[in-house]
Amino acid sequence: MKSTSRISVSGLSVRYGAHEAVRDVSLAIPDGKISALVGPSGCGKSTFLHALNRLTDLVPGCVVEGSIRLDDDLEITAPTTDVLALRRHIGMVFQKPNPFPQSIRRNFEIPLREHGVDRKEIPAIIERCLRDVGLWDEVSDRLDRSALQLSGGQQQRLCIARALALDPKVILFDEPCSALDPLASGVVEDHIAALRGRVTVVIVTHNLAQARRIADELAVFWVRDGAGTIVETGPASKTFESPTDPDAARYLSGERG
Amino acid sequence: MCRSPRTDRVVQVVLGGLALLAGGLVLLIFVFLFLGAWPALEPGRLPNLFTDETWRPGSQRDPQFGLLPMLAASVLVTALATAIAAPMGIAGAVFHRFYLPDRWEKANHRLLELLAGVPSVVFGFWGLTVLVPAINHLHPPGQSLLAAGIVLGLMILPTIAITSQAALRAVPENQLLAAAGLGLGRARTILSIALPAAKSGIGAGILLAIARAIGETMAVVMVCGNIAEYPSSVFDPVRPVTSTIALEMGYATASHKALLYTAGLVLMLVTAALVGWLSFRKPNPVESAT
Amino acid sequence: MTSDWKRPFLITPVKPSTKPRCLYLDRTVGIIGALAAAGTAGIFLWIIWDLVRLGLPNLSWTFLTGEVEEAGRAGGIGPLLVSTWWILVCCLAVAVPLGIGCAVWLSEFTRRGSWAGRWITGGIDLLASVPSIVFGLFGMTFFCQVLGLGFSILSGGLTLACMILPILVRTTLSALEGLPSDLRPGAAALGLTRTTTLARILLPTALPGILVGVTLGIGRALSETAALLFTSGYSTRWPQSLEDSGRALSVHIFDLAFNIPNGAANASATALVLLGMILVINFTATTLADHWMRRLSGSRL
Repeated sequence: MKSTSRISVSGLSVRYGAHEAVRDVSLAIPDGKISALVGPSGCGKSTFLHALNRLTDLVPGCVVEGSIRLDDDLEITAPTTDVLALRRHIGMVFQKPNPFPQSIRRNFEIPLREHGVDRKEIPAIIERCLRDVGLWDEVSDRLDRSALQLSGGQQQRLCIARALALDPKVILFDEPCSALDPLASGVVEDHIAALRGRVTVVIVTHNLAQARRIADELAVFWVRDGAGTIVETGPASKTFESPTDPDAARYLSGERG
Repeated sequence: MCRSPRTDRVVQVVLGGLALLAGGLVLLIFVFLFLGAWPALEPGRLPNLFTDETWRPGSQRDPQFGLLPMLAASVLVTALATAIAAPMGIAGAVFHRFYLPDRWEKANHRLLELLAGVPSVVFGFWGLTVLVPAINHLHPPGQSLLAAGIVLGLMILPTIAITSQAALRAVPENQLLAAAGLGLGRARTILSIALPAAKSGIGAGILLAIARAIGETMAVVMVCGNIAEYPSSVFDPVRPVTSTIALEMGYATASHKALLYTAGLVLMLVTAALVGWLSFRKPNPVESAT
Repeated sequence: MTSDWKRPFLITPVKPSTKPRCLYLDRTVGIIGALAAAGTAGIFLWIIWDLVRLGLPNLSWTFLTGEVEEAGRAGGIGPLLVSTWWILVCCLAVAVPLGIGCAVWLSEFTRRGSWAGRWITGGIDLLASVPSIVFGLFGMTFFCQVLGLGFSILSGGLTLACMILPILVRTTLSALEGLPSDLRPGAAALGLTRTTTLARILLPTALPGILVGVTLGIGRALSETAALLFTSGYSTRWPQSLEDSGRALSVHIFDLAFNIPNGAANASATALVLLGMILVINFTATTLADHWMRRLSGSRL
């Protein structure tokens, strides 16, 4: 197990001031698979996800304890870690599509230039990544128009392409479909599923059907003693079939949550 | 305590009258300026405003009514003031927004609000007693385009800083999150994400400051030297439109007076055009600044 | 869990990348920003320090209450304080009812975006853009000459009233529009007339917001000079009535510094008095505004 896990989390706790959002979570995230994090609202899934690439740093008063290791050699939570370089390896796609209100091309150029990619390579990267999310044919003739002219689903696919452009090892998805209409949601979901085997995907979702469709691994979050924690984890098919935790069982069968 | 709907109607009519009066006031001002300026606007006289080389309206023998050197002075002083205040105001706002803790930014906001209220005559007085001697030391005479530009720049600095701060604060959080998620550093986030997103708000603040600078009188009249000629360097004295009105209205008569009204009319139209154009643009970040 | 991200969020603690290029850029932007921020605060502290240094030695009780002597070089500013006070009273007596009336009509008696409403709001916005020297020209023509008030405290006050009107209308308007939206249907459901609703419920609730506007208006009126140069006159005697000419503090500073040789000492003392008054008034306004905002946002939750 150890050799194949991309990220291993052990004993992770996250506090915002006095409020403990996540307590003592341990999880191995396997390489090249899609891991889904499910559970009711307010159980720490998003906080956990944000801790994985240190976006928790942005919240004043947020304290992270425990260990998160990338590829067994990089300690993500260590204060000496180069956060910006880390975020190049672990990308993030947010709930609401958030392209920069500039041209589609600039949306790629800004991060690529910041990470030192040569200007000459950029057009090829843009084309490859836009093809990966099926946007190339739709936008190839208007790369210099504002990204905000795209529809919601297109914007979200642009955000995925923008994350892919940095060639990350892991991409974190924070409920990527919940702000989209069902049709667009389906398209985005298909493109996430297509990433399997190429990058490691961690996805937070409220949509159990979606988790059932795309997840290889499943982790169920639940609030215990006022803090979020993982109550059930394992391969998706097995976990959906026969969960051992009673709360998780009721939640996965649709009775609660 | 039950009043009849009739009281309602009376109240409505009275308040409507007040509103009409308040809204129509600007029209009244325009009409009076126009009437005062009319003698100078007659077709035969108008070209003189732009062809005469200098401003010597009181002279019996060869009166000269050239308005251009003064308009140029207004534009130059305003441009210099903006060139000083805009970079400082924006850079300061960036520092407070992205480099300092929140409470510093609030304290700074408070300070800027207080500074925005410092009377222009006090700025002018400071310029006359401290800045002008200093510039004189550097390059006489001291009362100059430079002095006017600096004093005016300081006056509009709080306006630009406050609007820039508000515009930076209004950059959507999810944009900053996206930048962080892509591993963009703080400086890159500021230069490539936050400033472009805040561009129109900052621009509105600068235009508002420019409108204020063009119309400013007291801070300028005391330090600009008041000589109505084109300056050849920043150390030369100049005489903007507002100064001319303030200095000459007290004794002007007849056609001279009409010219001063014309100058006032031009000022009013320029600032109205600036502010009008601002409020027609779709998002209106201006209100908090005034 | 997205609710965690709705809290006020700050990008400040982001550490710069340890890559030298990023670090360098981050430092450069930081240093330029710090210089600008420190420069802004520093220059203004310098100005205030200069005024205190020059003015404080001349400040005394007799200065505040004494007659103006030798065109201001000697003596005090007693009559000017009285003139300034009466100019302010005239200004507020006209501007407050007019401004509040206009705002109430715009907010309560006309639909948002109606033809009349838009034109009147536009007129107010344009009025706010008029330079103060133009108000001076207008005041001299209209109040002094056409209405025959001459150079008088009344003319000066009326001119200032025109000038601060937009401030009053805007703040009153935003105070009324910021009221909880269920107040109006709530009052209507109790069978109250619009007038009663206005006088007993809306205006009292919006009062703190309106006071902020009035305070800001006072600050603006006190600091104005250009609009008073040709309306309230230069007389330094104790004013006997509102039709007397009376010199405001700000005009006195201008005259002493600009026209009177050796007037700088008393000019700086006067500037210090004026600055002190305005800082106190504006501080009051911002504090009031803060409380008002907090109360409003509190009542909405």
